[in-house]
Amino acid sequence: MKLETKLTLFNTLSKLVIVVLFVLLLPSLIKNINQNFTDSKLRKQKNKLLQIIKSSGVNDQVYATYSPLKEEYYSLDEDSIDEKLDTIKNEPRKIEGDTIQYRILSYNFVVKHKNYLLEIGKSVDTIGETTSPLQNIAFAILIGMVLLTLLVDQLYTGYVLRPLNLIIRTKLIGRKFPNFGSYVEVKTTTSDFKYLDISIHKMVETIEETFQKEREFISNASHEIMTPISILQSKIENMFAEEDIADELKVRLLEMQKILNRLKSITKTLLLISQIENEQFLKEDKITVAAMLNDVYEEISIRLQDKNINYELAVPQNWVFVHINKFLMFNLFFNLVNNATKYNRKNGSIKITGTQENNLFVISVIDTGIGIDAIDIPFIFNRFKKFRQSLQEDSFGLGLPIVKSIAVFHHIEIDVKSEKDAGTTFKLVFPAALIEIAS
Amino acid sequence: MNVLIIEDEKALAQELEIFLTNYNYKCEVCFNGKSASEKIATNLYDFILIDLGLPDYEGLDLLKEAKKTNTEAACIILTARAEVYDRIKGLDLGADDYLPKPFSLLELQSRMQAITRRKFGLKHNVVELNGFIINLTDRTICYETTEVSAITKKEFDLIAYLILHKNRTLTRMQLSEHIWGSIINNDYDSNFIDAHVKNIRKKLNIYAQPDWLETVRGLGYKIKING
Repeated sequence: MKLETKLTLFNTLSKLVIVVLFVLLLPSLIKNINQNFTDSKLRKQKNKLLQIIKSSGVNDQVYATYSPLKEEYYSLDEDSIDEKLDTIKNEPRKIEGDTIQYRILSYNFVVKHKNYLLEIGKSVDTIGETTSPLQNIAFAILIGMVLLTLLVDQLYTGYVLRPLNLIIRTKLIGRKFPNFGSYVEVKTTTSDFKYLDISIHKMVETIEETFQKEREFISNASHEIMTPISILQSKIENMFAEEDIADELKVRLLEMQKILNRLKSITKTLLLISQIENEQFLKEDKITVAAMLNDVYEEISIRLQDKNINYELAVPQNWVFVHINKFLMFNLFFNLVNNATKYNRKNGSIKITGTQENNLFVISVIDTGIGIDAIDIPFIFNRFKKFRQSLQEDSFGLGLPIVKSIAVFHHIEIDVKSEKDAGTTFKLVFPAALIEIAS
Repeated sequence: MNVLIIEDEKALAQELEIFLTNYNYKCEVCFNGKSASEKIATNLYDFILIDLGLPDYEGLDLLKEAKKTNTEAACIILTARAEVYDRIKGLDLGADDYLPKPFSLLELQSRMQAITRRKFGLKHNVVELNGFIINLTDRTICYETTEVSAITKKEFDLIAYLILHKNRTLTRMQLSEHIWGSIINNDYDSNFIDAHVKNIRKKLNIYAQPDWLETVRGLGYKIKING
């Protein structure tokens, strides 16, 4: 999930929790406020009445009265019980046959050795009647404020995270390894993003430098190694042609030539892998798949004959490779078919099939060979890795690494399935862009 | 034919000279770009072999100069530089061929021969061997008047290479390098040359014994042509 989405989600949720809490608390809160307000009003009224009584005596005041709608109620009377009341309580009172719940202040006082009881009441209904409009207003304001803050939050996170999005979009996604292009600073006042931007840039620079160095190394090494090999090869060839050299010596020269050839092949192959990985090849060729696989057959037929292996081509005739490098693609298939031949049994078979799966094209090279141990499969593409079954064969352990790097270069996926002593299937999954169907 | 060899590695230049002289080319050798530039400007050559990795000169500049003053000369680039672009650039600038180091001297001679054939349109390119008439231009083999049609492209390549280097033993390695040279191969076995030769013999034996195709025990093969 994107950081921005996460932040928005969190903001919305936290605000939702606040709203819910507030809505739950609001009634009791308002009730409380109302009650406190009423209580203090009752006390003020009590004080006022006591003042009046003080100045004008009790007698005039002894009576009970209530407002016409029975919202308020007031009584002053002699009290027979000797008690010291000064309370505010909710109590029912019966007035003209109606029992009404009142909030009542009861107060005892003594004037001229007589006990009096003062009661001031306010009906509970009137106290509560402001509650619901108040609640509604408060709720509306709250919702408004929450929406406003959400909007502001959203805008601000968007603004603050814009540099991060820019860094991700321009510097991480869609960047083609190893061509990074030049550094463009992402403008931001957030130091974390500045740091991130600079760090990525530094890393990219290091990678580029390493790549450049590797490229230089390959170029230099190839020059420095190829030239001496070239000299040696020429010398051996010239010596070989000389007539006064005994055959016995020539056999030894041949041994030297063999070893030199091995060195040459390994160097050439390693170089090729590096060149592919450095993207030094163009992908502009077009050739029908069947034609290329027939070329492979032409090259390999002598080896097939040797083991009497049946080569079956079951790829649709109208499939055409496009945007590929012919030389590399040829070598990919040659190496796969060569392996399929080398590790096959006598009278075995090699079948190459082409199937379409969804949007993708799948070409499989299926052999009836000795198979690969399941534990070895993850390592077969490693350079110079040789397995027990391949030890008897002359091999450098570079065939499959070439296949792998050519496949990666063309964005082809390879899936290997093998059964011991039954055969191996190399499944090549081509992106739709590499194969066209000719009409 | 006159050949100018421009190669700063003296040991290699020397081997090139020995080899080409054996094939009756007249060779001149330059170890640096400056003297090569002078020679190109004053003399006329049939072949100019240019090493791209000269310490004092950009090899491709020499190619440009050669194209100006030695218009008839065939230029072959020899290089150890790995860049694929060099090859394209070299051929774009008018080089006739491009040989990456390390190359076999036999391969160089084969390319030079091919260029000669192309440039001068050699018509007389037919070899007769005990009744077999091998036409290197049309790439056909006939026995007296009947054509031997069963010969494959690879088999003909093999025969043509042996004829080009007649009376010389070619090792299996040299032959397989010529035949499978463009393939980046995982293995270094060249035993399949034997299978090819066996097939060739079988196909030719129907007409007559091709005893001119000799096996040199322990070494390789050769085609003997007298005169």
